[in-house]
Amino acid sequence: MLQNENAPALIQIRDLAKEFDPQSKNTVEALRDINLDIEEGKFTVLIGPSGCGKSTLLYLLAGFEKPTRGSLLLDGKPVEKPGPDRGFVFQDYALFPWRTVLGNITFGLRSNGWSKADADAKAREYIAMVKLNGFENAFPHTLSGGMKQRVAIARALAYNPRVLLMDEPFGALDSQTRKHMQQELQRILMQTNKTVVFVTHSVIEAVFLADRIVVLTARPGMVKGIIDVNLPRPREYTDDSYLDIREAVLSLLSEEVEKELEMDGM
Amino acid sequence: MLTQEPVVTQQTAARSVWGVVRFVYPFVVVALIWETALRLGWVQSVSLPAPSQIAAEFWRLAVTQGVLWEHFSASFYRLAVGYFLAVGIGVTVGALLSLSPLLRGLFEPVLSLLVSVPTIAWLPVLLITMGLGDRTVITTVFLGGFFAITYNTMRGIEMVPRNQILAAREMGVNGAHLFFAVLLPGSLVSLITGLRLGIGYAWRALVGGEMLAAMIEWGIGKMVFQARFFNNVSIMFVGILLIGLSGYLLDRTFLRWLEMATVERWGMVRRR
Repeated sequence: MLQNENAPALIQIRDLAKEFDPQSKNTVEALRDINLDIEEGKFTVLIGPSGCGKSTLLYLLAGFEKPTRGSLLLDGKPVEKPGPDRGFVFQDYALFPWRTVLGNITFGLRSNGWSKADADAKAREYIAMVKLNGFENAFPHTLSGGMKQRVAIARALAYNPRVLLMDEPFGALDSQTRKHMQQELQRILMQTNKTVVFVTHSVIEAVFLADRIVVLTARPGMVKGIIDVNLPRPREYTDDSYLDIREAVLSLLSEEVEKELEMDGM
Repeated sequence: MLTQEPVVTQQTAARSVWGVVRFVYPFVVVALIWETALRLGWVQSVSLPAPSQIAAEFWRLAVTQGVLWEHFSASFYRLAVGYFLAVGIGVTVGALLSLSPLLRGLFEPVLSLLVSVPTIAWLPVLLITMGLGDRTVITTVFLGGFFAITYNTMRGIEMVPRNQILAAREMGVNGAHLFFAVLLPGSLVSLITGLRLGIGYAWRALVGGEMLAAMIEWGIGKMVFQARFFNNVSIMFVGILLIGLSGYLLDRTFLRWLEMATVERWGMVRRR
């Protein structure tokens, strides 16, 4: 995709802060002074120690939460509520158990004005992309975790959002399936060229998938550092430069993890 | 998957025949023992007539006189009207309570108190305010179903997983569409529990109401209650057994089918 250097980023985050219960004594400052640009077509990973607010940042992008201060622009427009210009993938899949695989994927399309025939055709296209042919009429409870997450990815991509938001999507999968799903996601994104914001706490996963890794500090979450990953795709886990980047991310992260442990009094 | 369907159906059929046999034979055994004990003079009993007497009484009521069906149709009419009102109003009220924190704060304490009041306790009030006829009995049936249905609808909607709601909202789904497409199907496990409890309570309330509403002529509860004037214990037992059987079948048939066709098929509850 051609990228105009001067064009504003797809997502612009300016002086963003999020506090929970700001009026009470138990105020939790989750995010402080976040400034971040997310470029179109790029895979951005948010990583940080647990409780650093990386999921909160994703929820703000999704419109599930409102910022306490600062602004958050998608395509130049402020994000105020959830909407179909974004797709969200949860760790627990959040599929609708009363709908089939096909029904789960067509739901978003039908809700956005697609005719039944068009929605079916589009859904089948995405079912093929995530390699679930033959499972169109299966109900989610009959599928394995990895298959459910494929459905969730297809469901979020099918209505063609501007950005795909993923909240530790492979965190509930066993390590074999997880590795496989990372490769599958890479393959799917090479096909669709979709902008992704991806939350994880796995450095291995981050470096394998990301164009850019944003390391957040321990609570309150601030941007600790940004590491660009300029490795060619498709990637393999065995690339030499891959290991160097992993070391760089780990060293940034370990400082924060130590801080977090001190805070917890350990 | 499709090719397996006929086999599954056959197995289900065989299982359900076996299920009926397994259900019925204890009654047969108990009846035979009781009959034998009475005939051989081991026991004397006024309050528990011999099974053969009950069967003869059943035959008289159902076939020779044919009044049983009159009683039954009167009862089922009241049950149907009262219960469907309870479903319609209960689901609506339950949904409103779950969606509006204000309404919920106002009515939930009242509801949790009233849900545990036996419906029959309302009867004296209704007899005064609504008279001794059909209206009172139907209202009793309604109240019997209403609280359980309202409460379980409310709980069901609250228990729909948050992420499923967020996923739908991110697709731009809101308002009534969100309610009918996500909240309602997502709450079905609890809602069906409410419907089942509701029909059980409604059936019990019906029988009680029919006994105490003096102006009604027909009804299965009425039949049992009136038999005391003729000192006819056999009629009472025909009534009691049929009330039990009807209540059991109401639960086991259409609501059970609804459950199998929805929440069990969708894996939202374990198959039974």
